[in-house]
Formats: sequence, C-alpha cells, structure tokens
Amino acid sequence: MINFRSLRVRMVVFLVALLGLVQITEFALTNSASYSEARGKIEDEFSVGERVFARVLRQNSERLSQAAGVLAADFAFREAVATGDTGTLESALENQGARINAKAVLYIDLKGQVIADTLGPGAAPHPFELPQLIAQARTQGGASTIDLLHHQALQLIAVPVKAPVTIGWIVVCFPLDLVLAQDLKQLTGLDVSFARESGGQWHLFATTLPATADAAVQSLLPDYAQALGTRALQMPDGQQQLRLVQLGSQAHIVAVLQRPIASAMAGFRTLRNTLLVLGFLSLAFSIAGSVMIALSITRPIERLLAAVKRIRGGDYAQRVEIARNDEIGALANGLDHMRTGIAEREQRILKLAYEDPLTQLPNRSQFAQALEQGIVRARQSRELLAIMVMDLDRFKYVNDSLGHGVGDHVLREVGARLRRMQGESGCVARLGGDEFALLVPASTIDSVIAVAKRIIAALEIPIVYEGQPLDVGTSIGIAMFPTHGENSETLVRNADIAMYVAKRSRTGWAVYEKNYDTSQQEHLSLLGELRHAVEHNELRLHYQPKVDLTSATVSACEALLRWDHPRRGVVPPAAFIPFAEHTGYIKVLTRWVLEEAVRQIAQWRGEGMELQVSVNISARDLLNRDLPDMIGALLAEHRVPASLLCLEITESGFMEDPANAITVLEQLAKVGLQLSIDDYGTGYSSLSYLMRLPAKEMKIDRSFVSRVSGNASLTSIVSSTIELGHRLGMKVVAEGVEDSAGYALLRDLGCDTAQGYYMSPPLPPADFTAWMKGRLPGNRVTDPMPPGPSPRSAPAQSVYPAVAAVPCRK
Amino acid sequence: MNDRPTMLWPAVALVCLPGWALAADLSVRVQSAAGIPLEDAIVYAVPNVPARAAQGAKYVIDQINRTFVPRVNVVQSGTAVSFPNSDNIRHSVYSFSPAKKFALKLYAGRLTDPVLFDRSGLVVLGCNIHDVMVAWLMVVDTPYFAHSDRVGIALLARLPSGDYTLHTWHAPMTEDQERSEPLHVDAGAAGVTHTVHIDVPVDPTPVSVPPP
Repeated sequence: MINFRSLRVRMVVFLVALLGLVQITEFALTNSASYSEARGKIEDEFSVGERVFARVLRQNSERLSQAAGVLAADFAFREAVATGDTGTLESALENQGARINAKAVLYIDLKGQVIADTLGPGAAPHPFELPQLIAQARTQGGASTIDLLHHQALQLIAVPVKAPVTIGWIVVCFPLDLVLAQDLKQLTGLDVSFARESGGQWHLFATTLPATADAAVQSLLPDYAQALGTRALQMPDGQQQLRLVQLGSQAHIVAVLQRPIASAMAGFRTLRNTLLVLGFLSLAFSIAGSVMIALSITRPIERLLAAVKRIRGGDYAQRVEIARNDEIGALANGLDHMRTGIAEREQRILKLAYEDPLTQLPNRSQFAQALEQGIVRARQSRELLAIMVMDLDRFKYVNDSLGHGVGDHVLREVGARLRRMQGESGCVARLGGDEFALLVPASTIDSVIAVAKRIIAALEIPIVYEGQPLDVGTSIGIAMFPTHGENSETLVRNADIAMYVAKRSRTGWAVYEKNYDTSQQEHLSLLGELRHAVEHNELRLHYQPKVDLTSATVSACEALLRWDHPRRGVVPPAAFIPFAEHTGYIKVLTRWVLEEAVRQIAQWRGEGMELQVSVNISARDLLNRDLPDMIGALLAEHRVPASLLCLEITESGFMEDPANAITVLEQLAKVGLQLSIDDYGTGYSSLSYLMRLPAKEMKIDRSFVSRVSGNASLTSIVSSTIELGHRLGMKVVAEGVEDSAGYALLRDLGCDTAQGYYMSPPLPPADFTAWMKGRLPGNRVTDPMPPGPSPRSAPAQSVYPAVAAVPCRK
Repeated sequence: MNDRPTMLWPAVALVCLPGWALAADLSVRVQSAAGIPLEDAIVYAVPNVPARAAQGAKYVIDQINRTFVPRVNVVQSGTAVSFPNSDNIRHSVYSFSPAKKFALKLYAGRLTDPVLFDRSGLVVLGCNIHDVMVAWLMVVDTPYFAHSDRVGIALLARLPSGDYTLHTWHAPMTEDQERSEPLHVDAGAAGVTHTVHIDVPVDPTPVSVPPP
C-alpha cells in the first residue's frame, strides 16, 4: 500500500507526472509536426509527380508534333498528297506513320473531309470526327489532343500540309497504352492508369497497377470523375492517394495517378517509433532518476526519523551521523547536539530526582526503586532482605538550637558514616529530614541486627562540628523480606512502625512484629472514625478532681478525653492520641477539648461552682502559633476568666522544639492562662528550660507517685522534686495517688495537690458534679480520711469499672 | 513592288487594242467585307466569248532575299514565266497546284528555262528548301486583269463592250474562294466604277503546335 502522505511517494509522483507530461507533450508535438510534414511531403511529391506527368505529356505531344511536322513537310509526301490519288496517299501516310510509330495517320483536306485514313483504307471521304482539332490547328498552326477515335483513346496531333500554303492536314494518332503509362511511372514515381468512359461505363485500359488493384480503382471512377482532383483511397494493400487528371478537352478520358501513402509515410513511422522508444526510455530514466533523488532526500530523513525515535525512547547512546554538507547534514548535526544535550540534562534531572543533594545519597524515589529490585533479586535467590528505617534522636534540638548549618553538617556526616558501612549490594538512602533507610541483603536476622548495632555504635561517636562534639543517637526499625512483607510499601511501612517502637522503647533498634501492625492498622481506619466521632459527638470529657492536700478541698480538676465508640466501646486515648498527633488531627481534637472544657467551666460557673480545669495540650499544639488567639477567643465567648483554664504540657512536648514552644507558652501565660508541666520526671528536660518556662505548676509523674509509700529512693526523688518545684515557685501536683498511705505521705512531704483514684477516678460531668456535691459539701476534705466512695458517688464509680481500669494518660 | 506591273501596262494595252474598236475603262474598288480597301488584289474579267490565248508572252518572277518578287502575280494563260534567282543561294521553285505542277531543281542565277503556264488557275509557288517563300500566280484566260492599288482600286482599261465574268481574288485565298460575278461592259459608259467585297482569310502562320 502506497502512502501518499509520504514525502518520498509525493516527490516521486510529482516528478514522474511532470516528466511524463513533458514527454507526452513533446512526443505529441513532434508526432503531429512530423506527421503534417510527412503529409505535406506526400502532397509535394504528389504535386511534383503530377507536374512531371503533365510536362511529360506535353513534351511527348511536342515531340510527336515535331515528328508529324517533319512528316508533313516531306516534299515527296507533299508530292504524294498533291497527286490526289487516295491509294497513294494512304500508302504514303502509312509509310510515314510507321516511321514515327504512329498508330494511325489521317489526311484531312481543307474542307475537313477525311481523305485518307490508315485505319480505314479505301473509305469514301467523310467529315473528320474531331473538327475542333482541325479548327484549333488552323488557328494555331497545329494542335494536339487526347480523344477517342475509332473507339480508341489516342493522342492526336494535327499538323498542316503546306505547299507552301496549307493544302490540308495530317492527323497523327499515338496510343495511350501501357508503354506510355510505364514511361510516365518511371518519370513521376506514381502509378499511372488510363481510363475512359463509354456509354456511362468506365474502363481502365492501361495501368501500371497490379491486376488486383484494377477493380478497386475502376469502381471509384464514376464518382471520382465527377470531381477531378486528389482523393484518398483505401486499397487492399493500404491507403493510397489518388489524383484524377483529365486528358484532352473532354472528361471521358482520365489519367489516374496514385501512390500508396504507407510507403510515403514509412519514414514518418520510423521516426515516430524512434521517438516513442526514446520517449519511453527517457521517461524510464527520469522515473529512475527521480526515485533516486527522492530516495537521496528521504532516506536521510528516515534515518533522522529513526534517530528521533531512539532519542524519544531514551536511547542516547547512538550518534546521529549523516555525512552531508547540505541542510540535512546540518539538521543531523543539530539533532546530534540536541541528543547529547538531552542526555546530559536527563542525567542531571535524574540525579536531582533520585539523589539527595545534601548527602549525595539516593533519595526516597531511588530507594524505592532499589528496594523493588532488591525484592526481585531476593525472591529469585530466596534470600532475606532487610529494610532499615532510622531517624536521629535529638536532631531537631541540634537543628533548632545550633542552626541549620550544623544540622546539615550532622546529616552529611551521618550519611558519610552510613555509606562507609554500606555493603556491596546494600543501599543507603536519605528519605527526608533526619530519616535514613538502608537496604541490607542478609542470610539471617541476627546478621541484620548486628548491622543495626554497628550503625548505632557508629552514630554514638560524637560528630565534631568546629571543635564541638555533638551527640546524636538513632533509632532503627527493621523489617525483613519476605517475613514482614512481600512488597516494598508494606516493608517500608513496617520498618517505620518498628522504628517508632524502637524510639518509644528507647532500645535503639526494633525488629517489626505483627502486633505493632494491628494498632497501626487501627490508626488508619481510626482517622475516618475519629473525624466521625468529632462530628457526631462521640467524644466526652471526663473530669478528675485535684485535691488540695492542706485544705482537703477541691478547687481544680483535670479534663480527660474519652471516646465512646459505638462498636469498640470506650477507646483509650493512648490508642488514638499518638495517631492524631501523627496525622495533624490533634489540632482539631485540641480545639474540641478546649471548647468543651471552657463550655463546662462556664456551665459550672453558672451553677455556682468555680473550678479550674486542666486540659492536656500536645507538643504539636505548641507549634501552632494561633493557639493563644484561639483560646483567648474561646474564653471571651464563654466569658470565662483565663485563670480558670490550665494547660498541661509534657516535658517532651516542648523539648522537641523548645524555642518555639517557649514563645507560644509565654504568649499563653501573658493571656493569664495557668500552665502546668505534666509527667515531670520521665523526660530528659533540661533544668535550664524548666527555669525558663512560665509554668505555675508541676505534676510529678505517676510512675514515681503510685509506689512512693514504703520506697525510700522514690520518696527522696518525690521529696526533692517537690522541693525543686517549690524553689522554682511552682505548685506541685502528685498524680496517681492510689491509697491513703500515699496520700498521707505526700501531704507530709509538703506536696500541694493530689490527684488519683484514691480520691476519684475521672468522671463524666454530671457524676463529677454529683461527686462534688455529695462527697464534699462546701468543697472541703475535712480530714486525711480515706477517700472511700461516698454513698452517692458509689454508683457512679461502679458505673465506670472499665474507665477505672484504664490508666489515665498524661 | 508595284513598279513592274505598272511598267507592263503599255504592253498589255498594245496587245488588246487592235481587236476592239469600242472599249470602256472599268475601275474596280476592292474592299474587305468590312469595307477596308484591299491592296494588291487581282481583278480580272473573263469575256464570255473566249479570248485568244497569249502567244509568246513572257513574265518574270524573281527571287530576292528569299522572297518571290513580286509575290502576287497575274498572267494570261500561255505566258512563259521565268524564275531568275537573284540570291546568292540556291532555290528550288515548285508548284503542286493543279493548274500547273512543276519543280525546278536547285539552281542559281538566271539559267533556268521559263515555265509555260498554259492552263488558267491559281498556282501557288514555293521553294522546296525555304518554306517561308511563297508566291501566287493567277493564270487567267483573259487579257483584262489588274492589281488593286494602295487605295484598293484596280483599273481594267479599254474593256470592249460585252459580257464578262468578273473575278476578284486576293492572297492567300484559294481558287475556290475567288469571287466571281457577271459583268456587262457598255462601251459608251465612261469611268464606270464597280465595287467588290471579298473575304480574305489570314494565311496560316508557320506550324507551331500548342500544348494539349
């Protein structure tokens, strides 16, 4: 199938059509010119032949006239004529006629009487049948004609007999015969036929034509004789050109001159055939030439096209090379430059896309690819493949306190150390931030753990920056292929989970276990459900009273978040708060909690119960610079004094980003909010930060308080912590007070406030109100009495056995 | 050309006079059919009573510059005509006319014998070797004959009274074409003029055959 859109085909078709047109036109013109020339030549030749014919006839006639003249002038002949003896005369005529090969000779006297006739000897004198011949001879001194005499077509010559004046006429008759016709044919080159008419019938009586042609010519004569001139005649052996020439004064004797056109056209045919052959040859050459030209143009274009296709397909290896000095060569050269340019740029883009510019380690994308490949390889070789995900402990602190330059230096150094430890087939990548990942081909999980330990050890060596040692540790999560996942996504996620476990457990490393994943899986579905919970009011705030140890009164409580899940029942905060923090949803939760708490404060105030409510604030919340304004607006909306709202922040909360946290906390303090340091003693909080915090309260972690009675070292920690808090100007709250011994001890140690199941578990607002009213009318604990359930609060406690079993978070 | 015949007039007259006491002159005006006067026509009157033939009469037709001189002649029968040759070439005079057939072999000078013309009739003379030479000799049986002059008048003098046949001829008419008419001459009438109209054919020019 020819594609007419193809440049080559279009060029070839155009050139061939053009050349073909030219050839055809040229042939047509030449053919027509040579044809008309040939026809003209035939006409010319024919005319020449005809003129020659006429001239020969005339000359013949003149020659005969002269011969007749000589005859008539012969004295003896005249003498014989003068004798008046017919016999003598006839014999003389016959004798003279024989001398000049005459067919017949007649003597006619001045009266026009035939006196003697060699064809009819002895006849009586009778008038001459052709008096006009004599009349013409009389006026012109002689005459000749061609006419019928004695039923024969004859050339007749009449000359006077003079003695010395004209005394009579002799008429000499010569035949029109084959001899004459052949003579004429020889001289004119035309076929000559003589024909005569008698009684309406034409008869061809002498002809040079072959016998077969006679009939054809003869059949034409009746029509043709009507109009003398040139005619064409189709003869059995081809077309002939004919001309009828009248002989004599009357039209009953004609000469037919003819020649075959074919023979005259033979030269033309040869020329035409030569032209045709030449035309076809030159057309063939033109076609071949145009195809070659088209190919010479389109072939390099096709090569260029192929090169473009290669480049499009990402194959930059092959050079685009067409050694030509024309535009195509230049185009090929340009394309080659483009090829190298694209290749370089692609290399650069790939580097940008797959390499971390800071550490020059592969980035997350390349790690994903390497992981995919590693999985394929491991699957084939049935080996294990370990994926380690790690991040740096305290990196944020370094970055924030010492600047990004130092952070970058740390990352570069960590990258360098990891690279040094990278095995032959392994891969080290920086996933982003302070998060790194390693791919370790391994035979056993123990060897992987060994690698993890070596990494931890390597990173424990302080990184020196401008002479200062920086201490960064790491937590590594390990997931194994195929044990912990078949695909890269699962493996990375599981390693990530393991890393969080390691971080939380401060073990340095953790190998993924299935049960890590369940909580993680729950988290995923939790997000949607949590959103649903907020929107459908499934969240509740429970309140746990804070008992003033000196006065035994309750002037404050802590709001604790509960989720009454329609299917799961009560979901503990530990199951969704870390997740909410992780996803950023904590912001919504915090706002909800704050709104609910402020609303509750306002409600209690309306009921005449002025209580300070503590709300736990996530470390993430402290990064939210809008928080102070939002709280201010809430308080204003519910007309609640800021002093009734207390925000509890864990040590680790602000240690992640102390500078920012302190800024926000200071703003909150400025508004008049109470700030409390939660879970004190569990983190790594620096005392200098503690000093700088605008907090008015410190809560000792339950891990110290719940077992404090009877434990000397815990007692001294608690005692000195209380001392520290008081020295820093803060009130000290003990959490997790579970028995009367503890309660008494804390009061003795000078602790300001106690909170715990010993007094009350967290209660829903209504129960909390009831507890307040029933347990302590006037809000007062009169004595360090065992805080057993009051008659009215007992049902409340028994209603929430599950709640009581769940340790309060934060 | 007319000199010689005029010179002969006295001789003829002398011959005629003794036989006729009463005579009249007749002027014949010769004209063509169109009325144009014809010169050198021969007019002669033949009396119904036969006249005596001329005896011993002589006549000369010379050949000068390949021309018979004179070209047109009339003699009474019985006249001997001599054909001297004044050219320095030879001539061969002949006649095939029925009135007198003769042929003089090639000759030069004046050495030939005269030819006697004893029968009346027109004799056409030619030269056998010079076809262009032609002369006419009218032989008449009467002494009364004359040539018309430049104005076409031929004078037949002293015609005795009587009946005649008047013949008028002009070259190159044939004998048959000669005009003849009866004529009565009355001696008393003086200065009679008779007018004759004749049709003179043109002498055919030398042979030349036109193309067919």
